[in-house]
Amino acid sequence: MTSGANGDATVGSDAPRQKGRATPDTIKVGCIAQVTKDGQARRAEILSIRETKSGRQFYCNFDNFNKRLDEWVPVSRIDFEQDVEWPNPEKDKQKDGKGKKAPAAPRKAQPSKNKKKQVGKREQSVVSEGQTPHPWSEFVESQQAQVKTPGARGGADDDEDKANASLEVGGTPGIGPDEMELDEDETPAGVAKKERASSFSREEEIEKLRTSGSMTQNPAEISRIRNISKVEFGRYVLFPWYFSPYPEVFGQEDCIFICEFCLSYYGDLKSFTRHRQKCTLQHPPGNEIYRDDFVSFFEIDGRRQRTWCRNLCLLSKMFLDHKTLYYDVDPFLFYVMTTRDDRGCHLIGYFSKEKESTDGYNVACILTLPQYQRKGYGRLLIQFSYELSKIEGKLGSPEKPLSDLGLLSYRQYWSENIIELLVGYSEREEKCTIEGIASKLAMTTQDVEHTLQALKMQVYHKGDHKIVIPEKLIQQREKSKLKQKRLIDPERIQWKPPVFTASSRTWGW
Amino acid sequence: MATRKVRYKKLSVKTLLPVLREDQIDPTEYESLTNEAQISTGVEQAEENEYHLQAVLQGAGVAADKEIPVPPPQESTLSYDDLYPQQFSKTSTYIRFSQTVEECIGCMYDMTEDDEVFLKSYNQKRGANPHLSENDFERIMEVFEETAYIKTPFASVDQTIVNYDEMLQGLGELEKAKTMPHAKQVYEYWKSRRQALSNRPLHPTLKFETHQESDDMDPYVCFRRREVRQTRKTRARDVLSADKLKRLRKELEEGRQLILATHNRELLKAEMLRTDRAIFDQRALLKEQKIRLGIKTDDEDLINQKPQKRKAPEAPPVQRPPPPAQLRLPVRPDGRPADADLAQLADRIAEKENELRLDIAKKVQNHSDWNRGHIDLTRGPLSPVSGPKPEISFRPAKTQYLMTPPASASSESLEDPTPMELDKPEPILPLFKFRGVAQDEKSLANPPKFRRRYGRLNRLWIDRRGLTSPPREIDDSQSDRWKYDQSSDDEEDVPTYEVDPFDTRALKFRASIPLPVWMTQRATAPITRIAVLPPQGQGQPPQLPPTGPPIQIPTQSQNQVLMQALPRQAQAQARPAS
Repeated sequence: MTSGANGDATVGSDAPRQKGRATPDTIKVGCIAQVTKDGQARRAEILSIRETKSGRQFYCNFDNFNKRLDEWVPVSRIDFEQDVEWPNPEKDKQKDGKGKKAPAAPRKAQPSKNKKKQVGKREQSVVSEGQTPHPWSEFVESQQAQVKTPGARGGADDDEDKANASLEVGGTPGIGPDEMELDEDETPAGVAKKERASSFSREEEIEKLRTSGSMTQNPAEISRIRNISKVEFGRYVLFPWYFSPYPEVFGQEDCIFICEFCLSYYGDLKSFTRHRQKCTLQHPPGNEIYRDDFVSFFEIDGRRQRTWCRNLCLLSKMFLDHKTLYYDVDPFLFYVMTTRDDRGCHLIGYFSKEKESTDGYNVACILTLPQYQRKGYGRLLIQFSYELSKIEGKLGSPEKPLSDLGLLSYRQYWSENIIELLVGYSEREEKCTIEGIASKLAMTTQDVEHTLQALKMQVYHKGDHKIVIPEKLIQQREKSKLKQKRLIDPERIQWKPPVFTASSRTWGW
Repeated sequence: MATRKVRYKKLSVKTLLPVLREDQIDPTEYESLTNEAQISTGVEQAEENEYHLQAVLQGAGVAADKEIPVPPPQESTLSYDDLYPQQFSKTSTYIRFSQTVEECIGCMYDMTEDDEVFLKSYNQKRGANPHLSENDFERIMEVFEETAYIKTPFASVDQTIVNYDEMLQGLGELEKAKTMPHAKQVYEYWKSRRQALSNRPLHPTLKFETHQESDDMDPYVCFRRREVRQTRKTRARDVLSADKLKRLRKELEEGRQLILATHNRELLKAEMLRTDRAIFDQRALLKEQKIRLGIKTDDEDLINQKPQKRKAPEAPPVQRPPPPAQLRLPVRPDGRPADADLAQLADRIAEKENELRLDIAKKVQNHSDWNRGHIDLTRGPLSPVSGPKPEISFRPAKTQYLMTPPASASSESLEDPTPMELDKPEPILPLFKFRGVAQDEKSLANPPKFRRRYGRLNRLWIDRRGLTSPPREIDDSQSDRWKYDQSSDDEEDVPTYEVDPFDTRALKFRASIPLPVWMTQRATAPITRIAVLPPQGQGQPPQLPPTGPPIQIPTQSQNQVLMQALPRQAQAQARPAS
């Protein structure tokens, strides 16, 4: 019952679930068991069960691990020597949820923030806030009981999707999947409850997405079990992290094949090979707007290259949890970074950008493909997005929520650039303002403040606010200077902010 | 360590902040003051506390030795060179590209492994007969899929399968020799495949919205249309759209007409060229004939047409600004100088006018010569005005006051006239009084004439003849006409006019006042003599008010003015009138 590395191991304790031994045959969806992960036993929730030739497999979501680390495990990795926490449809649903959720939390800080962020959005979604289940426990319980029962009876094993749905009902109310469970639950009771509890927030979310944005704030929008296990893509085999709405039948394929240039997807090797014999594309189908010795950037209009951009979105959805493909790609421009060789321009990563962002975002989704990660490409993408903002004369910020990797990449870019500026100020003994930094870097002032605070550089000293550059950051800067990082050369950008008239947005003229 | 009690100043984004290095400040002084407000990371709250992220964030700013683990990618085992054989050559300029994926991938149907099995067995069965190639197989399948998609978009719902005959139309666009022998059998295969897939497209497709309730919940449904906000449908909007359409229709029609007209014009041009050519040929023939038959005439009829045709359009730009007579038009264009020998209408007219003017000037001259030495008063016998500006308001006023002279010449002034300086000494002007003369034919016939003479005893006489009107010298600009414009409300208070009794003009005016009727009878005498007679002997000329001292003539004491025609009373009468 302890997850070794995790300090929050206490989670389950105050939310007692029914515990007991289980066997590989009796364990079911929604159970929380100790599963070996990287040689360590961790609490894991079983989200799905499937039969394979080699035996039964269980789809496990590990406590406090990102979903991208979820995996199918064989029976052997589950510790049946220890008690399993059973999902208790009647009583413990809620507690179970809490137990599940609790690990994700030094809870106290969260509620307030959560509220702030989502006020008005989910007010009516009773459980989703999940901050303290108790006030609504009876209500929730009763509802979940309703919902859960049919799902559980339906038999998780028969219908995987349904199983997922029900499991989520039971398993993780605290994280806010209530909406999801409801959404996916097709029983009348579920539908009814959905309407009561979450339709409002969901509609709002959808309405917001209709007009802008590409990321969902709503975990209920996210399917929890990845459907594609393996992708052949160019020279690499990728292992998707998240669900992506490729054709449903692809879920049954061991591997799917994606053309590196047109991003078309194939379920079997023969058709992929045939396609490759006919496909003439060798670079993203748009205009090159940047080129240096190392990378090129292409600008692609979602409306004009609908197929390609849809394919790109499907591909990137496998690696972006919160990306939503609910609506079409028309209102976005895609800036695609490629590396060149004798076969063409290979996709490294991209960011999408709304043609008109109501929230002043300069990036909607941003992704470096896994095979190019940790090589500094993310910084190039981010820098490029800010260079475009500089040309536009706007302050930009990435659309929220950020992923964990996104946050780290952005923090790194922000802190490097801000420190570079600040060192200059300090050497010249000039004062600076947050606004000044923001406009120099085309960052929003919030992002500047965020970075200053995160790096603990903003201090209050002798009655004045001051900025102090920590010594280790200066050393780090000097170290990285030696590394000769690749940068975008703004001189090489051949780009004018595209203008879209009302009619061109509506009719594509 | 400072305490928490310190109240922070508000930090605005515009606050100037000093930037210090860590070593420039004592860490203990601020460490606890570091703003510890919760930082919003922008990461989904539920994920914010994930183990790996927190692990990395703990070492914020430190070299990232900790990383978030991700499922690692692998090198593909497929042969990249086989799958991606095409060579790519870098362009020297930035790539510009607008073709879509559909345009770049050729045939939309890619045969699957199942298809491959079928095709192999099919070709085997055919033995020596020509085999069906993979490309052709795909083309046929593409036609089937496409036709099915177009003709039965809801095939998967209503399970209708397009029959072979309907496919033929699409197949007709393929190379028949290669495909037609196989089409029927491939169709059967296609049909069985479709049926196996419950009549869904053979290629797996994305799930798009079908506008059913279940869509919303289905995670596989993606790329929904963003419904454009419905604009409210109103009558006005309908009318507006209808108008736009009508206008569009009209403009298109106009464009069409324009093109038709242009077409017509070009046809006519061609026709004209042909005609010209025919004419030329005919003329050539004619010329030949002429030469052959030895007919010698000038060749006017052979060439005249052409130059004229050319010149006509050229003429207008060369025209001189004053367009000359039409007749001369053809001559002008040749650039020849204007012909002097030909009289022009304009010249003629000018000439005539000149003549006329000369004539008039001459007549005027004659007239003035003839009138020399005479003052012409005929034009305005009575009124002094008759000038270019007839003063309508002035005349009646004048006639009204004519008979009631202003009281300026009071008895006082009469008895003791004060000497005054004359603005303009008029020494030669004789002292006289006029008597109005009735207008009659006689006087008109004989313009009045004056004569000054010295009579006996050195008396000055002014003879006048035919005087009918006062002198016309009264200048409008100097006239005192406004003086009389005042309305006299009460008759007892007769307005007094400030009049210099010795002003020349006043004198002249007084002179123009006609005499009373009883006097005029005599005045009609052919020669009226006015004698200016000092009433009381010599040496007291100032006693004569009308004349006044400045007039030197009476100062000669010896002068005696004899009043032959005027009795004493008349003079007395005349005196107050001045």
